[in-house]
Amino acid sequence: MSDNDAADRPPRLDRRQLVGALGGAVAAPFLIRRAQAASAVNIGVILPLSGANAQFGVNSRNGIQLVADQINAAGGIKSLGSARVELVVADATSTPTQAATVAQRMITQNRVAAILGAFASSLTLAISEVTERRDIPLLTMSFSDQITERGFKSVFQVVAKASVIGAAQFDGTLAIAKKAGTDLKQVAILFEDTAYGTSQAGGLRKAAAKAGVQVVVDEGYPLGITDVTPLINKLRASGAQAVFPVSYLNDSLQIIRVMRQQGLTFPAIGGAAGYVIPDFKSGLGEYAEGILSISPANWDQDPALTDTFSKRYGYFMVHEALEHAVCLDVLVQAMEKAGKSDPASLREVLHGTRFEGGWTKVMTGGAVQFDAAGLNTLAEPLMVQWRGKEPVTVWPERFAKAPPIWKA
Amino acid sequence: MALIQAILDGVMIGGVYAVISIGLTLVFGVMGIVNFAQAEFLMLGMFIAWFAWAKLGLDPLVGAFLAFALVFLLGLAVQHWLVRRVMRAPEVAQIFLTVGLLIVLENAALLAFGSDFRSVSTPYQTAALRLGPLFVSVPYLAAFAMSALSGLGLWWFLRVSWFGRAMRATAQDPMAARLSGIDVDRMRRLAFGLGVGLSAFGGAVILPYLTVYPTVGSQFVVLMFTVVVLGGLGSVAGAVVGGLAVGVIQSLSGLVFPIQLQNLVLFVVFIAVLAVRPEGLLGKAR
Repeated sequence: MSDNDAADRPPRLDRRQLVGALGGAVAAPFLIRRAQAASAVNIGVILPLSGANAQFGVNSRNGIQLVADQINAAGGIKSLGSARVELVVADATSTPTQAATVAQRMITQNRVAAILGAFASSLTLAISEVTERRDIPLLTMSFSDQITERGFKSVFQVVAKASVIGAAQFDGTLAIAKKAGTDLKQVAILFEDTAYGTSQAGGLRKAAAKAGVQVVVDEGYPLGITDVTPLINKLRASGAQAVFPVSYLNDSLQIIRVMRQQGLTFPAIGGAAGYVIPDFKSGLGEYAEGILSISPANWDQDPALTDTFSKRYGYFMVHEALEHAVCLDVLVQAMEKAGKSDPASLREVLHGTRFEGGWTKVMTGGAVQFDAAGLNTLAEPLMVQWRGKEPVTVWPERFAKAPPIWKA
Repeated sequence: MALIQAILDGVMIGGVYAVISIGLTLVFGVMGIVNFAQAEFLMLGMFIAWFAWAKLGLDPLVGAFLAFALVFLLGLAVQHWLVRRVMRAPEVAQIFLTVGLLIVLENAALLAFGSDFRSVSTPYQTAALRLGPLFVSVPYLAAFAMSALSGLGLWWFLRVSWFGRAMRATAQDPMAARLSGIDVDRMRRLAFGLGVGLSAFGGAVILPYLTVYPTVGSQFVVLMFTVVVLGGLGSVAGAVVGGLAVGVIQSLSGLVFPIQLQNLVLFVVFIAVLAVRPEGLLGKAR
């Protein structure tokens, strides 16, 4: 009924519409001009910027922002008519469903050419389901083996897989100990019992079995643990010669502190995450010195590049910032080479190219090359050791910047 | 020897549990209100102590007094403007208020401080005393000593001071207290302020061995209720006994079971105690 009434009435311009139309007319030239000059490429960045992993997300964003600014300052992407890199950053929180929703929105609304993210493997896996369906390239530094083991065509992993990292954590330790004249016979594994801790502990366990080393303590603990004393009491009684704790920050600080309280000075070899960030040092002070950890990459492989980061943000370039920087650099190199930013040609170039120069120089092998599954075949995990304010690469020897110190 | 070590660790941790839980029992005893937001005041205490350490250079054990004072004032305000209004309301309204307060405080902290984990660094953090084969962790010992100190202070306050006796009178019979010239509203304000202030104090003294983040309260809330109900809801002495019991049970279970089962053991004991003594270890039968 009311519809009919409206239809009968002659069309009339009310005041609100008039203002809108006038406003539009005034703004139109500016909008059009902006659209022309803005030959920009939208690149999606999805990271945990709130929630338990926010710190790692912020570090990653800093790394990506740095590279984007460097590229834009140098004149943008030349083969695309000097197009600017326009980052579309979104918070994945810490829930996979939210990460997937954000990815969906970026693809439909922001028309992103590719997506970078999302630090935590569980988030990356959720995003990859969306990007694979929509054929959008996803570049990541998450560790999980599953990422490149599902036969996906549009996912690219710039770091080594979790199982490789876990094995390297063990093998590197064994090699360093041997060099110092210690034969490791008994070790302990402590891990936080979410996906990251359990999967990496699995890699450690396997490597230990292979090397014939006995695991005398093998305990998971809840992530929000408030009293690690019972764990350390067990550790002290176990006769372990080294301990492999796989933890985020809160638990890593507690474990090292209580170990030191009880006078346990045998080496602790962390599993990246909580052990290779500046807060680990600020939380432990001098007790951080000499702590070893595995890391998928380290700033000291090319200080000339990573110094730009520490100058801008005031702390050393943590590995997640660095690997995300590499993701963006590789993506831009691919666009430069393709001369297009459509997903199909990007995917083709990403699969078939050995990327050199730029930020890839920080990675082991000094380059990035993806295999058919999207895994960077040149990436190798590094052993790092805290020296003063930064972790320094100590193993494998050809990448080492300082000799490892082993205090048995 | 491992047994003695475990009991020792348990007693020290339990002393801290007692102090953070006393507030909950005090508020319930005096006002009959279950404060679900109690653990969020502990979180606030930890943050105050952290900022006192980072900005003013105060050791958390000193910052604890500042945390107590500020959260005490906040408690007065919360009691006056929020809790007082639901004193006579149905229990559901009281639950909604304190649960709402929990959500507001937690998310306000997230907004204001971000989700970072913050940790202090103090010289005694990694120190331990050695008694023969036993280790006494200095931060645990310090937290225990501070907890004992505040517990004794509270005991003196409730037993000896006029305010404390007036507060106990209010708890026993608000009407009779009012007839004897006691300002019942004021006593309730004081009780609520003291209750949340003590939790904040407890939060500050454990900061040397923990990290603070906006959702840290959730690690403690179930523990606090267990302590209080185990000891007897509304009984301050009960909270002390309950706290020590929970600490020792957790620590002992670590000797036999994996640490992930710590709380399973705790709750099995908890349910067993309630089956035999529903009023809790020191609670009065109703």
